[in-house]
Amino acid sequence: MSNSTDKNQHDLVIIGAGPAALTAAIYTTREDIETVIYERGVIGGLAAVTDVIDNYPGFSDGVKGLDLAEDLRKQAERFGAKIELGEIKSIKDEGEFKRLTNEIGEDLLARSVLIATGSDYNRTGIAGEDKYYARGVHFCATCDGAFYRDKRLVVIGGGNSAVQETIFLTRFASHIDLLVRSNLKASDILIKELQPFIDSGKVTLNLGVTPKEIVGDDNGVNKVIGTLSDGKDKDFPTDGVFVFIGLKPNTQFLKDTSIKLNPQGFIITDSNLETSMPNVFAAGDVRSGATMQIASASGEGATAALKIRECLEGRLHSNEVKQLEVMP
Amino acid sequence: MVKNITIFTTNTCGYCQMVKTYLKAKGMGYDEVNLDQTPARREEAHRLSGALTVPVTVVTKTDDSQEVIVGYNLAKLVPAVS
Ligand SMILES: Cc1cc2nc3c(=O)[nH]c(=O)nc-3n(C[C@H](O)[C@H](O)[C@H](O)COP(=O)(O)OP(=O)(O)OC[C@H]3O[C@@H](n4cnc5c(N)ncnc54)[C@H](O)[C@@H]3O)c2cc1C
Repeated sequence: MSNSTDKNQHDLVIIGAGPAALTAAIYTTREDIETVIYERGVIGGLAAVTDVIDNYPGFSDGVKGLDLAEDLRKQAERFGAKIELGEIKSIKDEGEFKRLTNEIGEDLLARSVLIATGSDYNRTGIAGEDKYYARGVHFCATCDGAFYRDKRLVVIGGGNSAVQETIFLTRFASHIDLLVRSNLKASDILIKELQPFIDSGKVTLNLGVTPKEIVGDDNGVNKVIGTLSDGKDKDFPTDGVFVFIGLKPNTQFLKDTSIKLNPQGFIITDSNLETSMPNVFAAGDVRSGATMQIASASGEGATAALKIRECLEGRLHSNEVKQLEVMP
Repeated sequence: MVKNITIFTTNTCGYCQMVKTYLKAKGMGYDEVNLDQTPARREEAHRLSGALTVPVTVVTKTDDSQEVIVGYNLAKLVPAVS
C-alpha cells in the first residue's frame, strides 16, 4: 500500500507501544501499510513492567514481561514498523488526514490512527503520597522493589495487580502489610498463590482498611495510617508503600476531540473497533469493554489492524460508528 | 561534552531498558550497575539520586561535573547526553 510520500505523512500512526499496538503493527506492516508507532514510556507497555506473565498463550512456563515486550518489538520492527520515542498530545480531524502533534510541537499527518494508549495507575490522593513519591511511595514493583530487601512494606489495593505485585515483592521484603479497603477482588488463582505467604506470616492481609495518610521524615516513609471499618485509625509501620488501586485510561489528550469516551474515560468503539472519529480506531485496555489482559489486547490489535486495512482500501462498512452506544 | 555515563538498573526494570535502548540508538556507550547483582551499591544510587528508584543515569562531563537523571525522562536525558 505505502501511499506516504512526505516524511511527516503516514498511512497509519499508532499511539502507544503496548501489546495491542505492537500486535497491530505486526499485521499492518506485513500488509505493507506504512506504520509509525509513538511511545512515551516503555516499549511493551504495562506488560514490560510485569515480572512474569503466566496466562499468555504459547508460553507453558510463563514469560518474563520484559522478554515478551522485547520479542513483540523485534517482531514488529522485522516487518518494518518504525518506533518513535515521544508522546502524542493532540489529534485533529482534517478529513482525509488526521493531524497529530507530539510533545515537541511537531505535526504528523495520518490517513488512519490506532489509539492503543492503555492505562496508568490510579493514585490514592492521600496526604504524603506526592511528598514521598519515589522516596518511599512507589507504583512499579519491578522497578523499585529491589530497594526494599529485608525491609517492611505496605501494599495498598486488593485487585489482581495488588496481589500479583505483593507476591513479587515477597522476594525482597521481610514483611508486607496488604491494605484492602473492602475484600480481595483478585482472581482465585492469584489469591491461592498469595495464601502460603499469609500462612507463613510474610504477608498480613488487612481487610476493611482505608488508607488515610502516609507519614515520614527526611529519611523517607515510616508509617501508613489507615482507618478501620469501625472508624478507628491504626498505624502500619513501614519503610515503603506500593500503590496498586486500579487503572485509569490514558485518554486525557482526547478530551477536546470528537472521539467519544464513556463516563470513566474509556474510548467507545463500534464492532470494527472504530471510534466516533472516522478512520481512528482504538484497541486494548484503553477501549470501553476491554478485558484488561495481554492476550485480549493483542487480539484487539490484530482485529484493529485488519479493519484499518479495509478502511484504507475503502472497503470498511462503518456500522454503528454514527450511533455509538456506551459499551459495558 | 560527555565523558562517561553510568546507569543503575535492576533485572526487571522496563524503564531501565528504555534508557539503554535510547543510548544504544544514539551510539553512546555506558556502564551498567545492576543492583540485583550488586545490592551493596543501592546506597550509592540512593545517595546520588535522592530516590529509591531505578533507572538512575549519571552523566559525567569532561569537566567532571555530573548530571543525575532519575527515571526514564527523555526531556532531561536528551539534553544531558547531547
Ligand atoms: C501489575 C500488572 C500485572 C499484570 N499482569 C498481567 C498478566 O499476568 N496477564 C495479563 O494478561 N495481563 C496482565 N496485566 C494487564 C496487561 O498488562 C494489560 O492488559 C496490557 O498491557 C494492555 O495492553 P495495551 O497495549 O492495551 O496497553 P498498555 O500495555 O498499557 O500500553 C499502552 C502504552 O501506551 C503508551 N502511551 C499512553 N499514552 C500515550 C501517548 N499519548 N503517546 C504515546 N504513548 C502513549 C504508554 O506509555 C504505554 O506504554 C497486568 C497489569 C498490571 C498493571
